[in-house]
Amino acid sequence: MKAFGYVAAKDVTDAVALLAEHGAGAKVLAGGTDLLADLKFAPHHPDIIVDISRLEDLKDIEVADDGLHIGALVTHSEIMRSPVIRDMFPALVEAAYTIGAVQTRNLGTLGGNLVTCVPSMDSGPTLIALEAEVVIAGPGGERRIQLGELFAGPRKTSLKTGELLTDIIIPKANLDKPAAFEKFGLRKGQALALVNAAAAFFVDNGNFKAPRIALGAVAPIVIRAPKAEVYLEGRKITEDAMAEAGRIAATEAEPISDFRASADYRRDLITVLVKRCLANSHTRATTKAKELVL
Amino acid sequence: MTDVTLTVNGQTRSASVPPETTLLVLLREHLNLTGAKLGCDVGDCGACTVIVDGMAVNSCLMLAGQANGRNVTTIEGLATRDRLHPVQKAFEDTGALQCGFCGPGAIMASKALLDDNPNPSVKEIRDALSGSLCRCTGYTKMIDAVQEAASVLRNEATKQLTDART
Amino acid sequence: MDDKTEVLEREQLDIEILRDVNLRLPAVAPREAFPAVPLTVDARLQTRAVGQRATRPDCRMHGLGQTKYIDDIKLPGMLYARIKRAGISSARIKRIDTSAAEAMPGVMAVVIGKEIPVNSFGPTFQDQPVLAADRVFHAGDGVAAVAAVTEQIANEALERIVVEYEPLPAVFDPVEAMRDDAPKVHAPNSNIYATKVVRKGDVEKGFAESDHIFEGRFSTQMIEHVSLEPHAAIADWDATGRLTIYATIGRITLARADMARTLKLPMSRIRLIGTTVGGNFGGKNEISQEPALALLSKKTGRPVKGVFTRSEEFTSSTTRHPIIMDYKSGVTKEGRIVARQIRLVLDGGAYCSWSATTLGKACILSPGPYKIDNVLTEAFVVYTNKTMTGAMRGFGAPQVCFAYESHMDDIAKGLGKDQLEIRLLNAFDEGSSSPTGQVLHSVVVKETLNKAAARFGWESQS
Repeated sequence: MKAFGYVAAKDVTDAVALLAEHGAGAKVLAGGTDLLADLKFAPHHPDIIVDISRLEDLKDIEVADDGLHIGALVTHSEIMRSPVIRDMFPALVEAAYTIGAVQTRNLGTLGGNLVTCVPSMDSGPTLIALEAEVVIAGPGGERRIQLGELFAGPRKTSLKTGELLTDIIIPKANLDKPAAFEKFGLRKGQALALVNAAAAFFVDNGNFKAPRIALGAVAPIVIRAPKAEVYLEGRKITEDAMAEAGRIAATEAEPISDFRASADYRRDLITVLVKRCLANSHTRATTKAKELVL
Repeated sequence: MTDVTLTVNGQTRSASVPPETTLLVLLREHLNLTGAKLGCDVGDCGACTVIVDGMAVNSCLMLAGQANGRNVTTIEGLATRDRLHPVQKAFEDTGALQCGFCGPGAIMASKALLDDNPNPSVKEIRDALSGSLCRCTGYTKMIDAVQEAASVLRNEATKQLTDART
Repeated sequence: MDDKTEVLEREQLDIEILRDVNLRLPAVAPREAFPAVPLTVDARLQTRAVGQRATRPDCRMHGLGQTKYIDDIKLPGMLYARIKRAGISSARIKRIDTSAAEAMPGVMAVVIGKEIPVNSFGPTFQDQPVLAADRVFHAGDGVAAVAAVTEQIANEALERIVVEYEPLPAVFDPVEAMRDDAPKVHAPNSNIYATKVVRKGDVEKGFAESDHIFEGRFSTQMIEHVSLEPHAAIADWDATGRLTIYATIGRITLARADMARTLKLPMSRIRLIGTTVGGNFGGKNEISQEPALALLSKKTGRPVKGVFTRSEEFTSSTTRHPIIMDYKSGVTKEGRIVARQIRLVLDGGAYCSWSATTLGKACILSPGPYKIDNVLTEAFVVYTNKTMTGAMRGFGAPQVCFAYESHMDDIAKGLGKDQLEIRLLNAFDEGSSSPTGQVLHSVVVKETLNKAAARFGWESQS
């Protein structure tokens, strides 16, 4: 890698100040699993790396009045081990499990995964389906937005100079909403998603209530499938409905053809993965299985 | 320059390195611990795997500065003058090492697993090894080795408990 | 001493000792009487070693992390080399300007293609340059090599080397490259650089006698060995003009000969040390960067180490030949193969490397382990402007195996026959002839098929 400066931030305020000072010349180091790999290939290089990896404030997982808070620096391994997350949102554990390998998950952080803003990010779909919000610290103070508003384009967030993602919140209203995540890659481990998907809904007298479907790797950013959601709202929960929702969701995506897969293949994958997510969410809603099997 | 002081294999080591130095380069070039290998430099192959504060990590994806004040174990820290670590012995006995290049990384990943989980299932072993690419062995012998090492380590732990009680 | 020996006076001792029949003279094998009787081993004979657990002697060092691969070796004063890759598949090099790189602090030497004394090598045809001088034939071609005090500086120096290319037409598909109007990769030579034909019996007659004809096209992709250890070498040109090379190369005698050729050095001046290698699989069977490193060492008076990046392993080291395989078989209605005609087109990449050997093996093995009276295989290896294809475990066998076994399944399906049954009907027996006329012994194809089928419950699947 080319030479750059390095400074370890003392706390969030310090980190924000450093980022504001260096502007576009600074890059944030959390887990480093994406940043360092990127820097080794990239033609650009930063002036300075701001290391936030030791900010313990950003590593909390706790249920508060407004919902479940997951600090931006919680690693994928920590998500997988957290009793709170395993109990409330096994879908997040499932998603974390598909990321890289053990070594990647030990260092890689949830915030880092979201901020890379790659369309295929594995932590995105479940959080989008659960209508998560994120807290951003900046020179002007803190602001809170919907997670979807963070994504501006492939590898491009809406964060302004000096801003730092600090917290991810799943709102109180969705704390007991059953959810499921599916990913399809060319291998079971160390693979990018050709398509990933998540679904979450409440069961209301045998009908879908507040269904939410999110798709990754099939558009410039992680997207919802609103037409499929409208189709399901209030409808009786059946396998056929789930299959139809999958077909509708496939029409709402804009997958590309590349050396990994064709757009048609990806569309086929969407129909299958969405159907599976809906089925698994339903199973979670209706059974009391406590054992999470990965 | 970044000043780094860390514990490596139980010893305190210090170095003053350019900030862009990875932990892998720090170990190999500055501390002369060439056990961890450079296979891809982007965290795909696992040949650079070492244990930092109890976690298996790709040292090619950590900056030296991130390792400041931390506890690092490399392959060189496993064997003592008296004996090989059970994981090393098992890899040797089962034939899990051929060209040997992936060996240090796979052994450290296995050790990290067994430190955390003394009785892993085959699936758990596969998960732990999924970050270590090997082109020679086909992994079967590695899985056997980890199971063998797990058994030896469990027996040693039981023996220690029994000895302590008597 | 035996009492047949004469007791001798001291003066005669030296001469007489030579006549002592009990002295053990250097062993000379007795002259062989031809024709030699071949040794036929019983196919089912197992040695006692089978099934034993054996420990490799090098495992101890591997397990300890003590094995020294090339990148673990550091010599005093050693420099680090990097190679600038063309990044364009077919071009004429109009101009190379290395002055900005040479002026960088920490850059000790730069070498370009024109400085290589004999800029060509290869096991069959010497069509591969050490560094491209006038022409670039694939995007991974090296155009310049830099030695610097750190790898970081060497990397930055690559960016300062200015190369002006005149793009030339390129061809990427081997079948297309066989046409007369395709751009010639190594003009004026034809793109088809080697051919092999195996002919047995009369396929046209066989097809005429068949009840059914089946045809199929099968193709395989380019595969890289991905040895965990990348290609690496250290060159040390000492003050007496002797060159020591540490290399990951398997064929060190060939490498030494190629070093002598490219550097115009007598072989007696070259010491080539093949180190413990981190995987080869055929990919490290010839020189690549070594002569360039040697010249960098000569210029700087210091040892020079070069290690390929993982990307270079894909772009600039040999790969497995993609093969496009056309199969046509004539069979009886019972499924016995009467005639088989095959055309193989091997994607030969930018340089020959081990393509001739691969071509041979692929061609001879292409009909599969089946008794066929009429065989015609025509095989071609063709230049394309892509990464060179060379040796990789199997040398052409895996590709044709995929084809003939898939084709066999197609035939079974087409005739409504069981896949196992059709193979048992056609497979070699003890004493069968291969397509090239070799009489085969220790043949256990049918026994193996039956045993395997029993083990994984074939009956219950079909």
